[in-house]
Amino acid sequence: MPAQTFQTSHSSPRFLAACVITFLLFLIACNAIAEAPREITMGLVQKIFYFHVPCAWLLMLSTLVCAGGSVAYLFGGSERGDRVALSAAELGVLFGMCVLVSGPLWAKAAWGVYWQWEARLTSSLLLWLMLLAYVLARRYGGPSARRLAAALALFAAIDIPLVYFSVRFFRSIHPSNTVVSTLGPGMRGAFWLSLLAFTALWAVLLTARLAVESAQARLVDLEIELDQAEEKRT
Amino acid sequence: MKMVALAYGFIWLAVFGYVFLVGRRLGKLNGELDELRRRIERSKS
Repeated sequence: MPAQTFQTSHSSPRFLAACVITFLLFLIACNAIAEAPREITMGLVQKIFYFHVPCAWLLMLSTLVCAGGSVAYLFGGSERGDRVALSAAELGVLFGMCVLVSGPLWAKAAWGVYWQWEARLTSSLLLWLMLLAYVLARRYGGPSARRLAAALALFAAIDIPLVYFSVRFFRSIHPSNTVVSTLGPGMRGAFWLSLLAFTALWAVLLTARLAVESAQARLVDLEIELDQAEEKRT
Repeated sequence: MKMVALAYGFIWLAVFGYVFLVGRRLGKLNGELDELRRRIERSKS
């Protein structure tokens, strides 16, 4: 076997092109956000919305992908599904943290308080804590924690409808899910561009994170191969 | 203005921090893989 540099999807031209496209999308989105008209009652602070909502969407998307990968691992024994689940859970923790920081900053300006124990905020915090528990279990729980973590991912997925519909079913001071359709034309374009840019960023990060998991798996395979080769020699 | 700057700043910092950590982990793993490949080559020859 010739010595060669390990090639992963993170160094492929397609991946690099995706990085460039994501960067350009963010440039266009940030320009659109800067150009978007100011909301009458909240003023400049409403612009947090353009980053806050895409991060919330990515928290839910990450949880769904994590749950999908966990189902593939639990019921089909798919190692790839398990790697996808772990990568998505990490991204869920990242974007969930962004939601839980940007939201209270917006709330302080709009409601006068950083936090309210109401349904949308509390269920979002619970979702983030469950993903954090998944990542911590995978990091410190050893191989036996994989199935437990996968079951936790399914439990987290159940929380998604609760997060989404909480503003409809419970009395809440959080803006409703229909707020996007009420945006003016300048605001709507900026919002969708931002959502697209964040989703592209999520896909790029997921690919890079999966490359880490693949490299880790390959490393274990090669260590076994090395042990076998050394045993043959002795 | 302060809240907007804090929110946007935190999100950018978190994303760039994560990209840096993933890049560093990937670089380290690729280095370990190359080293292992060389050791396998030596032990086979």
